[in-house]
Amino acid sequence: MLPNPGVYYFPWEINSESVADGQTLRTYGRLHCYDMVQSEAILTALHSSVQHQVRICTKFVEPFQAQLGSVYVALGETEQRDGEGPVLKARVLTCVEGMNLPLLEQAVQEQRRYFQERQGQAESSAS
Amino acid sequence: MQSQPAKYEAEMPSLLWGLDPVFCAFARLYIKDIKEMKESKQVPGIFFYNGHPVRQVDVVGTVVLTKERDAFYIYGVDDSTGVINCICWKNPMEVEKSLSVPGTSCSHDLLEQMKKLQEEMLRKTKLEIGDIVRVRGHVRIYREKREIQASNYYKVNDPACDVQISRMLKLPCLYREVYDKPFKIPEEAQREYSASGGVNFTSSIAIDVLSEKVKDFLLENRIQTFYQQELETVESLVSLASQPLFRTTSQQMDSKSEASSKLIHSAFKQAIEVLQEKGVVFQKSNLPKDLYHVTDQDKELYSMTLSIVKADCRKPRHAEKGCHFLHILSCVRQSYSPYLSEAVMHHVVNLLERNSDIVSTMEGYYMTF
Repeated sequence: MLPNPGVYYFPWEINSESVADGQTLRTYGRLHCYDMVQSEAILTALHSSVQHQVRICTKFVEPFQAQLGSVYVALGETEQRDGEGPVLKARVLTCVEGMNLPLLEQAVQEQRRYFQERQGQAESSAS
Repeated sequence: MQSQPAKYEAEMPSLLWGLDPVFCAFARLYIKDIKEMKESKQVPGIFFYNGHPVRQVDVVGTVVLTKERDAFYIYGVDDSTGVINCICWKNPMEVEKSLSVPGTSCSHDLLEQMKKLQEEMLRKTKLEIGDIVRVRGHVRIYREKREIQASNYYKVNDPACDVQISRMLKLPCLYREVYDKPFKIPEEAQREYSASGGVNFTSSIAIDVLSEKVKDFLLENRIQTFYQQELETVESLVSLASQPLFRTTSQQMDSKSEASSKLIHSAFKQAIEVLQEKGVVFQKSNLPKDLYHVTDQDKELYSMTLSIVKADCRKPRHAEKGCHFLHILSCVRQSYSPYLSEAVMHHVVNLLERNSDIVSTMEGYYMTF
């Protein structure tokens, strides 16, 4: 069985309300800390002068070499935990240090805009 | 007025697929679209995205699943819009590992190089979850699921995601510029459309096919002369001419038999016109109902042309260089038929030359011995 596609989410878009339980997604951020015992890492990203955090469960991708401060891309399914917000159970966690973050943001926006446009056209021609 | 979706429902006839550049290219589609596009009713393995026939695709994505079989790997590839299985055949060189070469120093070097090459190939083709892969191949349906049969695949070295980002930026443009625009029949074909007086483009290609068949029929049976009505009694040709390709959409509605016999008549007329333009057949007069002659089989025209060249080469004016083609043409027009076209004359002169009855002294000049 193939998993669902990992749709791009910006780190600041991931919170309990916006993301359904079990949603497959991919996101990115700087590795802030890594707790080997708990198998949990935290990615952080700065967006309009607010620091956002994404909690990553690293059970499926261990062992991995944690380079604190580097940019990582994570792909996996979210899991809602009571009172703690969503945790991303990563299937893929890749270090992409040196990635052009603003350009990635632009590329994701472009892709979204394209699909929105297409959706809009399909709806207008259907009605 | 036709609405957009209705237009795409009618599938382009397979004869015209090659006119769409997307057909020959590896279409860079989102995996979501590869999984959703419609399969052709005419040819399995061909798909339609927005009316564009798609034969091969090109995808880049993250490997999220790997399975190994004896001869191939199955990689699940995720491009953030969809996930699809890719069947990636193992390199045959990797399978037959034993290379036995006699141990001279030169071949030893070569062996080293081959080993390095194999290692490199293995590195590029053995993928793990999380790797970025580029796959090109054709789409097929296996157990009701779509998969890509890779003709070419490799691991993309993309440590800073540059390849993926540039592709994400490029695809929306590519879609807007190419894939989402409906395919237009090229201008040249449009001109042909208007020239053929309302008969649509599909039929003009069909006319070419019919004219080739008529030509084959005439030459195979060594027919010297014929009337159009005679051709319309040949069953194999009539069955071709009565195919729906020869009808325009409006005519298709009309299923009366009289109308269809009229269509067959006009199809034959156009096919013969094509042959006339090519010089394969000709008429001595300009009356359309007159007898047609097959150029290659017409003994009279052949011997008359030969005798003209023979006679004129004796004249001092032509003794040195031979007769020019246009001179031969005007002589034949005077003594044989004023309506003879240049294309027909070319046919006859080429035939004479092939039979070594005349030889060409220089471009356009001919003489006999």
